[in-house]
Amino acid sequence: MLRLYDYDLSGNCYKARLLLAILGVDYERKNVDFFPGFKHREPEFLAINPLGQLPVLEDGDLRIAQSAAILVYIARRFDPSGLWYPLDTPDRTGQTQQWLGFAEGLTATASAARLADGMGFDFDADAARAGAHRLLAVMDEHLWFQERQGQGWLVSGEAPTVADIACFPYVMLSEEGGIPRETYPAIRRWSDRVKRIPGFVVMPGIFPAILGSQ
Amino acid sequence: MDGASSIGPWVPVAASEDVVPRHVFQGKLSGQELAIWRADDGYVNVWENRCLHRGVRLSIGVNTGTELVCQYHGWRYANRNAGCTYIPAHPADAPPRTICNRTYPVHEANGLIWTHLGDAGDAAPESLPEEPLVLRAVPLNAAPADVSAALEGFAPDEGMAHRGGLFFSDGISSLQLYVQPMDAGQSVIRGYVTGPLAAQGLALLRRLNTALTAFARQAEAEARAKPAPAPIPPVYGRVSAELAEMPEMTAGPGKIRVTVAAKTMVAEGIVSLELRPLRGVLPAFQPGAHIDVALPNGLVRQYSLVNGPGETDRYIIGVKREAQSAGGSLAIHDHLKAGDLLAISEPRNNFPLRRNAEETIFLAGGIGVTPMLAMAAAMAGDGQNCRLHYFAAGPDHLAFAERLAALGERLTSHLGLDPAGTTAALKAILSDPGPARQVYVCGPGPMLDAARSIAAEQGWPESAVHFEYFRNTHQIDDSSSFEIALARSAVTLQVPAGKSILQVLRENGVAMASSCGQGACGTCRVKVLEGIPDHQDVYLNNTERAANTTIMTCVSRAKSDRLVLDI
Repeated sequence: MLRLYDYDLSGNCYKARLLLAILGVDYERKNVDFFPGFKHREPEFLAINPLGQLPVLEDGDLRIAQSAAILVYIARRFDPSGLWYPLDTPDRTGQTQQWLGFAEGLTATASAARLADGMGFDFDADAARAGAHRLLAVMDEHLWFQERQGQGWLVSGEAPTVADIACFPYVMLSEEGGIPRETYPAIRRWSDRVKRIPGFVVMPGIFPAILGSQ
Repeated sequence: MDGASSIGPWVPVAASEDVVPRHVFQGKLSGQELAIWRADDGYVNVWENRCLHRGVRLSIGVNTGTELVCQYHGWRYANRNAGCTYIPAHPADAPPRTICNRTYPVHEANGLIWTHLGDAGDAAPESLPEEPLVLRAVPLNAAPADVSAALEGFAPDEGMAHRGGLFFSDGISSLQLYVQPMDAGQSVIRGYVTGPLAAQGLALLRRLNTALTAFARQAEAEARAKPAPAPIPPVYGRVSAELAEMPEMTAGPGKIRVTVAAKTMVAEGIVSLELRPLRGVLPAFQPGAHIDVALPNGLVRQYSLVNGPGETDRYIIGVKREAQSAGGSLAIHDHLKAGDLLAISEPRNNFPLRRNAEETIFLAGGIGVTPMLAMAAAMAGDGQNCRLHYFAAGPDHLAFAERLAALGERLTSHLGLDPAGTTAALKAILSDPGPARQVYVCGPGPMLDAARSIAAEQGWPESAVHFEYFRNTHQIDDSSSFEIALARSAVTLQVPAGKSILQVLRENGVAMASSCGQGACGTCRVKVLEGIPDHQDVYLNNTERAANTTIMTCVSRAKSDRLVLDI
């Protein structure tokens, strides 16, 4: 059984939960009290990940940290279709990696603003917000032109990829860090599409786009 | 010509392509937040972005294609009229029709969605002969007036020159820009290209987006040098008195004028009327609602609305030809024609639909299918578990074939059954009562009586069996005389033999709503505080009757010498 070291309110942990749910993979959740317990800084967790970061995925003896790496691992291990982490062309693999990198930028900005506002972390929230807006403007422009070319996802192709999963949480939680999305209509439409992926699950602060979903 | 001044107060707040199916676009105009959504029938709604219940943004809600559902407590608002159609916390009650979201005028032209916050009346922008190429909207943090002024110096670099206002042209092709004022310090540049240049499509869109984005960064840099203006405080519409109180009880035929847009035979002896408003928007309605129709021969008749959620631009009723009737159905069948005017009442819902059951069974007999069609469409549209059992004399008697077909496997028809056959079928359908199941019955009296008694025999709780009779076939005994005390009005009145409570109330100046006048529809229901009613209606179920807490004032009377009513 897979084991995920997890925290409910973490967008990075939600990335792993979301892809596991979409692929229908069973796993065991091990909750780490990130806030207010700061258990990720205690020796018990540092023995699992010396960086003290969530999430961590255990698969037998294998232990993988960092959300992007976990997404790539889950996709390569549990998605026989190969759609979620595309290796079919160098272009699409490169674009996928590019947006995985972009998602780290969202963690450094939108997520930082949320941690500062919501959990009292000592970050420069205004600088984080300004940085997030620069990223979101680029992403909205990209998605608008994707739509004009009949493309619904960050990486061109028929199906979503781990890039969409990686960027989704901190875009959706941006308002908790004082970052409204009213000037990013293409991002808002894209997020509705992500929410309609079969198997989609929510987390606190992220609402479903259809009735009757959990 | 100056494009910006030619549009009057109408402002583009979204592109048509922004408002995709089953999506809610978040917009803003002069500090006022907007929820903009397109229903499946194509209509675009521009509403205040605020649920009337707890003020949560409707832009995070769910667009079902016919209704917008608030994410917080599930209040539902209808396409077009913005009326509240359902409150999940009160599943057994029909929400007052007066709960209605604030709407703004809508105009869709030239690939843009336009609205304005002032009074309607100014001419909406005209449609160009050809759909233009709509640019990507570019948002920027700068005051709208400053952006408009600076844009006059914008160089689109497509061989086009500034020709006044925000209009640029090379003589053949042209670029029209608009500045949407989002807030005091926030703008959106929108626009479109017409003429041969538009054929360049994506490449042109990219070039103009690059040029406008560079312009926006420059304008933002200039705006940062100035003190930031204070945001415009949003204006929230006053909550109407009716939202907190009960709706006015002065409905009645004649309030609304409609045109008979179409008259169609939809089954043997059944005609459908499509009623459209002479002007404006028809009031909101919910599945199960009915209207009073004032007929040209002076009679007033009640008909259930057939159309489902989202079909808010018309009312559809079905009328069966009743040879023995007093002339209501004959007046419609034989004399009414398309184009005629009718006076109708606002819709009332005394047959509300719970939407939280795990399974819902609809039993329709003959013309009783009319409210069931609206109810089943509402449930089926949400993908909820429901089934419509339609009892009719034969295949030619199945009305509204298209609506039935849309129900697919949710429809079972039972044709040509005699009373014994009907009883057997009802027993089979109602064989399995469950705690989360609900039954709705509408049809002829004998079928309703049979369905209710079979349901009771087979263990269905009365609270799960909902019914609507067409008419009250019981002989009304009005020989008693008694006293009524109006608790809230501190008035005591005598009801003599031969007069109804309703008549006495009205003669004494108490405004009372009523509809069918025979104890079938529930409109004149009043709360009883003291005394024993003599129930003669067919609206209340046995539990409600035994509770003696409400009374239909049009037919029911008193067994005690005195009734205290909550009026």
